[in-house]
Order: sequence, then structure tokens, then C-alpha cells
Amino acid sequence: MTGCRSQFSMEMEKLKSLLAHGEADFWPQMALQTREARDFAELFLLSSLRKKAHARKLAAPWPGKEKIRVAMLGGYSLYPLHELVEHLCEVGKMPIELWLGDYDNYISEITDDTSALHAFAPEVVFILPAQRRCVYTGKLTDARELVLAEGQRLIDSLLELARKVNAKSGSEVIMANFMLPVRHDLGAYRSRTPASDWNFRNWVNLELGLASPAYVHICDLAFLAHRQGGLMAHDERAWYESKQPGSPALLVEMSREIVHLLASFKRSPKKVLALDLDNTLWGGVVAEDGLEGIELGDTSARGEAFKAFQKYILSLKQRGVLLAVCSKNELARAAEPFEKHPEMILKMADIVSFQANWAPKSDNLRAMAAELNLGLDSFVFVDDNPAEIEIVRQFAPEVTAILLGPDPSEYAGQLADCRLFEPRSITIEDAERTGQYRSEGQRKALKASVTDMGAYLESLQMEAVVSEFVPVDVPRLSQLINKSNQFNLTTRRRSEAEVIAVMNDPDCIGFSLRLKDRFGDHGLVSIVIGRRAGDVMEVDTWLMSCRVLKRQVEEEVLNELVRLARGRGCQRLAGLYLATAKNKMVQDFYERMGFILTSESETRREFTLALESFQTQPSKIRITRRAYESS
Amino acid sequence: MNQADIIAKLQNIFDTVFLEPVVLTPEISAKDVPEWDSLSHISLMVAVEKAFGVRFRVGEVETAKNIGEFANLILKRQQEP
Repeated sequence: MTGCRSQFSMEMEKLKSLLAHGEADFWPQMALQTREARDFAELFLLSSLRKKAHARKLAAPWPGKEKIRVAMLGGYSLYPLHELVEHLCEVGKMPIELWLGDYDNYISEITDDTSALHAFAPEVVFILPAQRRCVYTGKLTDARELVLAEGQRLIDSLLELARKVNAKSGSEVIMANFMLPVRHDLGAYRSRTPASDWNFRNWVNLELGLASPAYVHICDLAFLAHRQGGLMAHDERAWYESKQPGSPALLVEMSREIVHLLASFKRSPKKVLALDLDNTLWGGVVAEDGLEGIELGDTSARGEAFKAFQKYILSLKQRGVLLAVCSKNELARAAEPFEKHPEMILKMADIVSFQANWAPKSDNLRAMAAELNLGLDSFVFVDDNPAEIEIVRQFAPEVTAILLGPDPSEYAGQLADCRLFEPRSITIEDAERTGQYRSEGQRKALKASVTDMGAYLESLQMEAVVSEFVPVDVPRLSQLINKSNQFNLTTRRRSEAEVIAVMNDPDCIGFSLRLKDRFGDHGLVSIVIGRRAGDVMEVDTWLMSCRVLKRQVEEEVLNELVRLARGRGCQRLAGLYLATAKNKMVQDFYERMGFILTSESETRREFTLALESFQTQPSKIRITRRAYESS
Repeated sequence: MNQADIIAKLQNIFDTVFLEPVVLTPEISAKDVPEWDSLSHISLMVAVEKAFGVRFRVGEVETAKNIGEFANLILKRQQEP
């Protein structure tokens, strides 16, 4: 912490020296330090230096830029929030002309047609309503209707203020919503009455956001304070002493949010996300580690993190972002995971431009921009390699280049916090569409409330792929075989070489099942190895991920096992349970599945199932592919 | 740290914040510094609290009549456990 502060002092001294010598580099350095400033004090000191630069007539940073006319009003003192906003705007090349309302005078400023606010004719009006007035004034035990009616009156009055401002000068309105309480007052009862400050404000925030017209942009204070930590955002002393809406730290977050919203009115959003491959979409280097060696998928923590990043990227595509690949690789090797890796979330069809070659990435990005007929400034490029980021920043500076941090579990959050692909404010069509969907939503809610297990499983829309062991799955098969403890009948461990030996043994069958449902893909969840001995199929290994317990995967695996055993001329299945400290869960499993116990000891139970009389087990899972049947 | 050390460190902050140079002495007060008004005061105090790693209690900063008393208040709050 002190390290950061002395770093900041050094940067301040550098800035002061640049200023003293009237160097033009002052402004770019000021912009950089402002982006990296960690707290109110740092921003305030930077802003003081900026004002000194003005006083010393150090060339205005971005001459000729037209200033946006912004009014800030609300139930608070808007000093020093305004100074942060002004500072961030100016160093962000978006100068503004500010008009500040008086403390808690916003209602009169807006409703009085002859007020100085209207004379100022603002393009954007920021309204910070008095948080203290967003409380229910009746009793905690009052009827829900009474409470919500009061909330509705508050929302209506805020939207009326916004409407008035917009009607008067066509302004966009940035409306702050309400911070949630942070003290334990009311305890568990908090959530049991709509009249508690907690529920009341939650409800008002929700309805305010949903009811706002397109010219209203919510400055989500509840979210900002939550992100910061409620206790860090509140500051009672600052209210008593100088009528501040929250802590200095909250002022920083608020000012950055206001400026972000202002910028979003003027700047077009990013359209393309260009992705590196190795150590960005998966762990490892595909050209060296091979398809089987890269880390991707649910059987390792790192693999799961990369898979989650891909899921986030896919969600961006579903929001309309174009995805592209920009990789230093041989095309065929780079494409292989997209075509063949079972855990890849992103497929070839998701990628609009695939550049895998040995040319500099800046050249590739330029080629892509030409190919897609889009400006380079609508591109975002992410890579884990600082050298590649540097090349792009130097030779294609219009592209926003993001250097991923050292931990893949943070990739998705890091990209989200860059705030480059946020949807714009809702349009009227969006609002209408919401209306259409509402009835459908109600239908679905009804369906979701069924308590019957069969109906629930049905509603999951499960699909499974059953596959014989294949080379690309070998690492995952081995990992799951070596880490499954609870739902594991024999707990026989196998290395990758031993899994391959099973594949090559004509007397063995080995298959896995992958499950997905409408909420997502569970990946590879169950593995079976059988060994034929005469007319008996001995079940050497049967294991399953506990995440999919009671989803009828067990039934479908048995159906498949029986089908394959019959196909190999077997008359019965021989089941074996070997007790361990961890697999008690499945000691009765074979009995539950209709097997008959044939012998038993403390650590070992043997079972048999006659195939002749076996009835296929019903399930709600749709099997889209079966083992040993090329798809 | 004594009062003089505190004032020397305050001098550094004041030099950054205010356009017009001001030489701090124990006797000087806000009314002697034109730029030190009730508005700049809010931000200035946040910067001072951070620089000295202290938090003042509600209302107590305004009881300090001059820089000397203010420096003593900082010392007092610094010595708290």
C-alpha cells in the first residue's frame, strides 16, 4: 500500500516538473495518471495540477473540441463530485461546461420554467435524488399495496422531473438510483416486509430502471456501492459536515460512472473482439502440447477457467459482438481445437475472421478491418502476451488492446470491467419486445413451479452424447478416472497410457457420456469400462460426476452398457462394488438398478444382471449419439 | 513527528493544491488563504487524512483555529491506537 503511494508521489513530482518546464508531454502523462489514480486524494491532487496548468497557460490539451453542456443537481452538495467529473472529462478529451445546482434545490430548479438551469440549456442533466427520501414513511407492518404505492409515487415524481428536463431542452438525463442500507437494523426481518429500507429501495431501483424511457440513463449507485462494499461507500460524517452523498471513494466511482455514461452518448461502441488463442482461449500451446495436451474443460481448475472465459465470450457474441481470431500459429493447428476439441465452447462458425499465421498481429488486425469493412477503432484485441499487445499498441493504435492478467480465472471479469461492449440504452422496439416476452415468461414461470420430479427433469431439456473412448478425450478420461471418489464403484485408477490400452483391447469396451441441458453444458460426466469374459460383461469401472446425480444419467449409462454387451453376445452383466472411505454413496447402487447380489464381504460386493429380461430404463434425456456408432 | 514536521508535510500538500503559493506558519488560518474556502476545504481534508493516515471525528477540524492547532489535532489522532 505504501509502495503504491510512494509510486504516486514520484509520478506527481514528474508531472510537476513537466509543468514547470511547460512540456507538452504533461497532458498525456496527466491522462495516464488519472486513469491509474486509485482514490479521491490522488484524483484531487491531479486535478489541482491540471488547474495549475490552465493558470500557467500550458497549451490546452485538445483545442477546438466543443464542450458538452452538463448540469449536475441533486439533494446534496455537488462539490467536490463536480471537480472529479470535470477533471476526468477534460483529461479524457471530452471537455464539458458545467452548471451546478444548489444544495437540495433540484425540484425547484427543474419545475421553475424561468430557472437558471433552463437558461443554461443543458445537453445532459445529472440528477442525484436525495437518498434519505427514498424510505417508506408508514409502519413496518403496513399492507404491501400501501408501501408499493408510496414507492410508485416516488418513481413517478423522479420520472416526471426527467420528462420535464428532457421536454425543455431535449437533454439526456442521467438519474442516480438509491444506495442500499448497510447496517444490521431490523435483522432478519429486513427481508420480510416491503416497508424495510432495504426492500423498499430494492423495489424502487428495480421499477425505476424498468420504467425509465430511453432518454433516462440510470447511474446505478446501488451497484456502485455494492461493488465497492457498502460500508466503504457510506460516510455519515461527510453528510453531517458537508452534505456529501457518500464517502470520497464512492465519489470517485460515481464520477467515473457519470463520465462513462457521457462518453457513451458520443462514442460508437466496439464491434469486434479479436482473440489470441494459446493461453488465452485455452491453457498451453496447441502446436506443442497437441490437441490432447491443452488445458480446457471441467476436469481441471485451469481448464474450467478457460472454458468459462469462452462462455463469456460466447455471451458477447449473442449480444451482437463479432468474434475474430488473431493468432501466431499454423492455420491447421490453430483451427484443430475449434473443429475437434470436445470442450471448446467457441466453434468455427462463431468466428467471422480467422487469422492464424506468422505475420505481425497489427497487420492481421488491419487485414481483418478491411475484410469486414469496419474501422480499426471498433476493434478490441486481447492477448496474454505483453509483446503482442505492445506491437498492436504501436502499429495499430486505433485498436483497444487488452493485456490479460496472469490468472485465467480473472479473464472474464477483466474483460467485463474494461466496459467496451456494454449494450446501449434501450430502444422503443426493445421495450415492446419486452412486452411480448412477458406473457411467455409468465407461462414459463408457471411451468417452473411444478413440483413433480419427472416434470422438472423434462423441463431441463437434457441431451447426452455417448462416445466410445477416443484419443482426444484421453486426458479428460484419465483425469476423471483418477479424481472421482464418491460415485465410483471400483475406484480403479488409470494413467493415460492405461486408458489407451483399454481403447486398443478388443475384449474391452470403454465409453463416456457428456450431458447438457438448457442451462449449460456439464461436459464429460460419466465413464464406464467393461471387459468381456465369455458371455459375461464385467463392469470394471463405472463412475459419474456427482454434479449430475439423480438426472437419470445412471439409467442411460446402464441402457448403453446393456446395448453394447448384447451386441457382443453377452448374456449377463457382472457388477462389482469395492468399498473405499469415500464411495459409500454407491454401495447399494447395483441393487437400485435391478442387479442381484451374488456375494458379499466387508470390502467387496458382487452382482449380476440377466440381459434377457432387461427392460430399457426410461429417462428424460435425449441421446443424440451412441458409442461405437460413427456419427 | 512534532508540530513542525506536520506543518512541513502540510506545506507540501498545500503547494500542490493551491495556485497561489502560501507559506504555512502555526499562526496562519483559512481566512489568510483566499483559495482555502469551504469547498476546497472538503477535498483538502480528504488529502490530509490520507497523507497522515488519520481520520478526524465529526466536527473537530473546524474547532482548530489555525494551522498550529490543526497540526496538533493531526498529532493527537496519529497517536491514537
